[in-house]
Amino acid sequence: MKLKHLTVLMLVLLTLLSLVSCQTPASGATATPASGATTAPDDSSAPDEDDWSYIKAKGNLIIGYTLYEPMNYMDGETLTGFDTEFAQAVCDKLGLEPVFTVIVWDTKEVELEAKTIDCIWNGMTIDEERSQNMNISQPYVKNMQVVIIRKENADLYTDTASLAGKTIAAEAGSAGEKVVNENTDLSQGTLVPVLQQTDALLEVKAGTSDAAVLDYVLAKAMVGEGTDYADLQIVDGLELAVEEYGIGFRKNSTATEKVNAVIDELIADGTLQALADKYDVNLAD
Amino acid sequence: MPKTLDAVTLALLGAFRLNGYIFVGTLVIAIPLGLAISFGSMSRFGPLRWFTKTFVWAIRGTPLMLQIMIAFFAPPLLFGIVLPRTETAIIAFGINYAAYFSEIYRGGIESIPRGQLEAGQVLGMTRSQIFRKIVLMQVIKRITPPMGNEIITLIKDTCLARVIAIMEINMKAQQFASKGLIWPLFYSGVFFLVFVGVLTVLFNYFERKLNYFR
Repeated sequence: MKLKHLTVLMLVLLTLLSLVSCQTPASGATATPASGATTAPDDSSAPDEDDWSYIKAKGNLIIGYTLYEPMNYMDGETLTGFDTEFAQAVCDKLGLEPVFTVIVWDTKEVELEAKTIDCIWNGMTIDEERSQNMNISQPYVKNMQVVIIRKENADLYTDTASLAGKTIAAEAGSAGEKVVNENTDLSQGTLVPVLQQTDALLEVKAGTSDAAVLDYVLAKAMVGEGTDYADLQIVDGLELAVEEYGIGFRKNSTATEKVNAVIDELIADGTLQALADKYDVNLAD
Repeated sequence: MPKTLDAVTLALLGAFRLNGYIFVGTLVIAIPLGLAISFGSMSRFGPLRWFTKTFVWAIRGTPLMLQIMIAFFAPPLLFGIVLPRTETAIIAFGINYAAYFSEIYRGGIESIPRGQLEAGQVLGMTRSQIFRKIVLMQVIKRITPPMGNEIITLIKDTCLARVIAIMEINMKAQQFASKGLIWPLFYSGVFFLVFVGVLTVLFNYFERKLNYFR
C-alpha cells in the first residue's frame, strides 16, 4: 500500500516538474507581448531597423526560392537561373555568402518574419499588398500574366471572353490567381488554386483545367516547341496585368537599400543586361 | 533534370531517405512518449488524468499538417529560435503519434482482466511486478495489430513534411511533374508499397513470435 502511494506521489512530482518546465518558456512568451503590449509596434520595428547589421553579422544571406524557370532552376545537380546568378553577384559585392533555401510559396511571408529566410528572390511580382507586408527592392525585371492552353484549343480560346466559365488553374496566392479573380470574364469560371505555377501547366496538360494563368517569363521558358510542354501554348496577344519583379525583404529592413545600391552598380556596368540576355528576360525600365 | 528510369529512381530514393529518417525518428520519440501519456491518462490522480486527456484531445483534434507548421513557425516567431526543418517535423510527428499510441496502449492495458491483477496481489506481487510479469507481454501481443496499422499510416504521413518545404519523395516527384515528366509522381507510390510490404512481413513475423502464449 505504501508503495502505491509512493508511485502516485512520484507521478505527481513528475507532472508538476514537466508543468513547471513547460511554463517557464510559456510564461516568458506571454510575458513579452503582455508587458510590451503598448510598445508592441516599437518592439517589432526595433530589430527590423537593424536588419542589415543582423545579416552582416551572420555573414550570409538566406534566399528563399521555389523552382521557377528561368529564375531559379536545377541544371543537373546545380541551381542556376537569372535570379540565382543575380543574387550571387549581389552577395559577392556585399561580401555575403548566398544560402539558397527552398520554401513553400504560400508561407513566404511567415518564413521572412520568422527569419528562417532573409529575402525572397524568386521572380516575385511587386503588388500593393506585398509592398505593405515587405520591404521590396527596386523593380529589376518586367513581366506580365499570360494564358496557357492546349495547342488543340488554339482556335477555341483567343481572348478572355472565350474563356468565360472555363476551369482555370493558377498558383494560390500568385499574381495569376489575382488576375483570374479580378478579370470579369475569367472570374466566371472555376479557379483551381494549385501549389506552384508549374502545377498549373500540369493541370492544363492533363486536361483537368482548360487554361492556366501564369508569369510570361516562366511560360516563355517552359511552354511551346522544344520545351517540356511542347503540346501547350501561350494565347497570342493576350497580355494581362503587366508587372515588375522585385526582391522581398522584411518589413522596414535596412538591407533593401544596400541591395538597391548594388543593383544600380550592376545595371551601370552591364552585368545585369548580360544576365538578362543569357536567360532571355526583359529588364525593368 | 535527368529523365531515365535509373536517374529518377536514384533521385526519388535519395528523397525517400528523408521519409525514412522522419519515420524512424518519429517512432523513437512516439513509442516511449506514448507509454508515458497512457500512464497519465490511466492515473488515479485526477488533475494528471485531466491534463493528459486534454493533451490527447488537442493533438488528435487538430490536423497534423497544421501541427507541423506550428512547430516550425511558432518558435522563431515567438522566441526568435530557428529550428532545423527536418528535426522539427520529427518532433511534431513524434508528439502526434505518441497521442495515438497512448490510446492503443491504454486499450491494451485495460483489456487485461482485473482478476489477473488480483491474483498477482494475492501472491504478494507489487504493482510494478504485476505490470512487468503478468500484464506487459499480453499487452504487447494485443496491441501489435493496431500498432502495425498506425506505423504503416506513419510512413505515408511523412509526405506531410513538405508543407515546411522538406524535399521528401512526394515533393521531389512533383518537381519532376512540374518539369513535364509526370510518371515519377505515380512511380513514387512504388517506394511506399515496397516499404509497407516489408513492414507487413515484419509484423506478421513478430505476431508469430508472440504466439507461444495465447
